[in-house]
Amino acid sequence: MRTMKVTFQINNEQVTLQVRPYETLLETLRERLSLTGTKEACGLGSCGACTVVVNGIPLRSCLVLAPEVEGAVITTVEGLRQEGKLHPLQEAFMEKGAVQCGFCTSGMIMTAKALLERNNKPTKKEIIRTVSSNICRCTGYKKIVEAVEEAGKKATQAQK
Amino acid sequence: MILPKFEYKRAHSIAEAIEVYTRYDGQARYLSGGTDLIPLLKLRLSTPAAVIDLKPIPALKTLSRGGRWLAIGANVALFDLKKDPLVKEYFPALAESLEATSCETLQMRGTLGGNILQDTRCLLYNKSLEWRTARGFCWKMGGPACNVVPNAPACFANYCSDNAPALITLSAQVTFAGPGGERTVKLEKIFSGDGRKPMALAPGEILTQIRIPLEKTKGTYEKLRVRDSMDYPLVGVAVSMKGYSARICVGGVGLLPRVYSLKDINESRIKETVDRAVAEAKPVVNATLSPSYRKKMVGVLVSRAIKKVQRGGAR
Repeated sequence: MRTMKVTFQINNEQVTLQVRPYETLLETLRERLSLTGTKEACGLGSCGACTVVVNGIPLRSCLVLAPEVEGAVITTVEGLRQEGKLHPLQEAFMEKGAVQCGFCTSGMIMTAKALLERNNKPTKKEIIRTVSSNICRCTGYKKIVEAVEEAGKKATQAQK
Repeated sequence: MILPKFEYKRAHSIAEAIEVYTRYDGQARYLSGGTDLIPLLKLRLSTPAAVIDLKPIPALKTLSRGGRWLAIGANVALFDLKKDPLVKEYFPALAESLEATSCETLQMRGTLGGNILQDTRCLLYNKSLEWRTARGFCWKMGGPACNVVPNAPACFANYCSDNAPALITLSAQVTFAGPGGERTVKLEKIFSGDGRKPMALAPGEILTQIRIPLEKTKGTYEKLRVRDSMDYPLVGVAVSMKGYSARICVGGVGLLPRVYSLKDINESRIKETVDRAVAEAKPVVNATLSPSYRKKMVGVLVSRAIKKVQRGGAR
């Protein structure tokens, strides 16, 4: 079967790739671009481990076909660090101990990033609603919610 | 999980999508959000030669208020629709059903059209090819009989849309465009009652628009599920009221949503409706909760939903 050319922006870099039409964005990221921070768990869109931010929206990359992201702007967990400095969410996740086994973490952070981008002062209820999109089997979510709250506060302070 | 091989085609207009579908001789599937289709493909429950992406079609993404109707393009994302002030004010049953659909991230990807046209689900159907081969194919996969109800030559899979029951209580109509032209029907008429092909659609038809009569309603949506954060409905009950009459729709149990009308509401009429809904709900052992519990909960949720609307929203 013929491959297709697809061009998109990934972590501030423009890339053009030949992909299979039946390839998921997750496979493209992990296998063609070696961005293995994005994880595959269920592969059916239930768990959220593979979440990346596409055009400002958190998407489950296991449910997106690679040719669908033509022209899109994509951020993965690898793209959060700016000029050698970790993203406030990454800092807060470490500080609050919101990571145990770590498998859900990149998806969790990307979901939270999209939330903070569209709403820089989310309430605790809104944070809980958002992170419940992703499955974490270790932490019981408490520390994750605290970390997102903390990162939200920091981001608002930075703007002041 | 690896996808089967297929071609990917992008459609920029409805006519182009239908033309591509015809070229593949019916061996194609339409794709919008993909939250239902991609898992079906991964499990080899659908193996099309081509997938036609409808997302680039601008006409499917519009939300417009024209005269007596609110017209919703089939590709409007559930999350965007949920945020619409008109939907909240006029159609609370729909707004609540949108809020109850899956989780936020999937609401941003999933579309209203896709939610309505999702395939029916069963614990013994939504499984990998290897699992299903070992178990033996059921009626819905082209096998000889149901795997849940022994020897039954019929399907008991559940229609798990949250939004369709809400839309049915709002007397919504749906418009399809296909190789044979365009048609508009009442939403409750699109169900075939046949598990192998749950929707009565002609090959190649695309759901283009959902329209709701623009009249203020009171309403609610009650949903039974194991995890509040996501999950398909194990029972879903929508109620919309206009004046002294109500429409009630029960989804999540069996192949099609069942609709009930209630006029001049009083206690005895409510009880009659509750009893009818419970009698007509025939759950089987194909979901995560037991059939007897789900059957009982149909009654609980119908009565709870009606009373909640009567009290003006509070439980």
